[in-house]
Amino acid sequence: MNDSQLIAILASIVLQASPLIIAVCGEILTERSGVVNLSLDGSMLMAAMTGFVVGMKTDSYWIGFLAAAVVGAIFAAIVAFGSIRLGQSQVAIGFVLTLLGDDLSAFLGQNYVRQTGVVVPRAGIPLLKDIPILGPILFNQNIVVYFAILLIIGTWWWLNRTQAGLRLRGAGERPTAAFARGVDVNRVRYAYTILGGALVGIAGAAYSLNVKIGWSDGHVRGFGWIALAIVIFGGWSPIRGAFGALLFGATKALATALQRAFPEVSVVAFNAIPWALMILVLLAVGSDYTERFIEAMPRRWQRPLRRVLRVSPPMALGTAFHEG
Amino acid sequence: MIDFLVRYPRLGRLFDLLLPLLATLAALAVGAIMLQLLGANPFVAYRALLEGAFGSQNALADTIVRATPLLLVGLGICIAFRAGVINIGGEGQFIAGALPATLLGLSFPDAPAIIIIPAALLCGFLGGAVWGSIPGLLKAYFNVNEILSTIMLNIIAVQFMNFLLRGPMIDPVQLQAASAIPQTARLNPAFDLPRWVPTRLHAGALLAVVLAVVVYILLWRTTTGYRIRAVGFNPDASRYAGINVKRNIVLALLLSGAFAGLAGAVQVYGVSHRMITDGSAAGFTGSAGFNGIVAALFGKLHPLGAIPASFIFGALIVGANSLQRAMQVPAALITALNGLVVVFVVCSDIFSRRLARRRQIGVAEVGSKGAGAQGGGGAGERPPTAANVGPPDSASAQPAPPATAAKVGATIKPVAHVAGQEASSD
Repeated sequence: MNDSQLIAILASIVLQASPLIIAVCGEILTERSGVVNLSLDGSMLMAAMTGFVVGMKTDSYWIGFLAAAVVGAIFAAIVAFGSIRLGQSQVAIGFVLTLLGDDLSAFLGQNYVRQTGVVVPRAGIPLLKDIPILGPILFNQNIVVYFAILLIIGTWWWLNRTQAGLRLRGAGERPTAAFARGVDVNRVRYAYTILGGALVGIAGAAYSLNVKIGWSDGHVRGFGWIALAIVIFGGWSPIRGAFGALLFGATKALATALQRAFPEVSVVAFNAIPWALMILVLLAVGSDYTERFIEAMPRRWQRPLRRVLRVSPPMALGTAFHEG
Repeated sequence: MIDFLVRYPRLGRLFDLLLPLLATLAALAVGAIMLQLLGANPFVAYRALLEGAFGSQNALADTIVRATPLLLVGLGICIAFRAGVINIGGEGQFIAGALPATLLGLSFPDAPAIIIIPAALLCGFLGGAVWGSIPGLLKAYFNVNEILSTIMLNIIAVQFMNFLLRGPMIDPVQLQAASAIPQTARLNPAFDLPRWVPTRLHAGALLAVVLAVVVYILLWRTTTGYRIRAVGFNPDASRYAGINVKRNIVLALLLSGAFAGLAGAVQVYGVSHRMITDGSAAGFTGSAGFNGIVAALFGKLHPLGAIPASFIFGALIVGANSLQRAMQVPAALITALNGLVVVFVVCSDIFSRRLARRRQIGVAEVGSKGAGAQGGGGAGERPPTAANVGPPDSASAQPAPPATAAKVGATIKPVAHVAGQEASSD
């Protein structure tokens, strides 16, 4: 394998990971405010279908993305309304919406299966794409990938460097304290659940318009669950989450490559690898044994190791908040 | 309308009982609009649905056959959700139970059926238990979120099934034929579960109903069940009371998986008599692993409530199939219709809770009696009402529960609500 092939593979990993990155950033915003939107798998299917169909009808992928964002936002709004206003379990609502999105997308999209629609054109960034190695991997892509990259930085900055981000984290960590400091906790949660849902919708359309072009029954099934797992793996941090999405893309690429190298091993083994790996990763970051391992290390290493190996969820994640 | 129902509590109680039915009807009404839009007469369509589900002896038998795996999976779901763990791995556990059961039947084609059938069901039970205990152990000892691990184990189980059915376990006939359909050979017909000829109704249905009663006894009449519910209701309090929370979480997921696995074995020996795959989970399970969750939620996470709930869902599935044949409407409409029913039923639960809360306010306004009802959970003529609202509200009134409980607490809200109701009526 020569260099240009390797660069092509890396570029394709970035491309494959871009929708996941967008979805993960959206879900991070939602979960950091204290709400679990479990409906990702269903809402991404609905958004992928809507984005593709609307894009095809209007002949504009921009409008397709917009429609997908609206669909994602509606799903998220149902989760927010059901959990905040009606006091239902976020998990139950999310799960039911997952099933509904799956069925509804199959029903509404049945006439558009395997048709050709619009696609997002490649658009290299003039100067940046000529940077050796990094240029072709990151900057000779299209707007979806650029959006994903900007979103990672933007989400990190918003969460950690702005007043609004502080309020957002307050709502997810210590809602009572945030409330006492004048934050309208439930309003913040509504806002970021819906914003996160819109991003998830864009992620769905990023599949059907860019990465896995077209629509078929169950087109992006499974990716929503992957995104949810990556949020945990990423410790609710956009940068680590993006890293997780790229890692997942890399394992899939690796599985494909290995399969070519070892044709006698069943394809099943390679299909299962990324999932088994995901479980192992979740196991590692949450386990008490990891903590013991860190404590056995020299004191100087403990802090950086803990930052890499351990994650902890927002403290009030998934709990309801009542004023007064 | 809520005010009206609050004023007449008896009517309100009746309303509570009928609510899932009303929700189903409302969903069907929305479905009627969709049918109309597709150019089909909704009245004719729903008549076809009803006749398909209940119209004849065979139709009714088919409905029960479809309901059986839903009930079995749903029983496991009741146990898991009562323990405060969300098991979405029904599909994978169903497969994990069906595989060893099928393997047993294929390995000993000449053994007497009286040994093979119980052994196969046991294999299914154990296979599901193993597959269910994995997320249980991961959750209890490594803090792995069970929702994600069960989903991923579903996918792994499907891949494993595809591998076995395309390779080692493939029907020798299919191997020679050019089509090479990924399926096992048919099991010895002697191993078929006893059937109520001429219908397709098999003994598995009876087994499921019996087990529903067993699960009810387990959860509400044994110490084990009490511990499981206590862990789901309040893990911290349970720990202080000396209950081994981790072990009970593993036990609940293990049992939950075991029932899904048993459903898989029953499906193979009672209905399909072989395993066949189209590459996806639903191709073999018929989505029983997911629909079982819905049936359990529909039955308010009560094993006995799951019986009518899964029956209604079985009827919807069977009826919808015949509707599709009769009216030539797209198959996707049927799944969308099922989804609508689910959403409406869940929404109806919201409504009944609001009703309960309103009543609670009414009780509180009466004065001291209200306070007594809240504390004792059994005072006055509206015990379920008071209990309904008391525990969950007081739980959610603490906005920041202890850090360890936060994750679990998030997922057990609805369970705690129901569990509280039962706990206080004991």
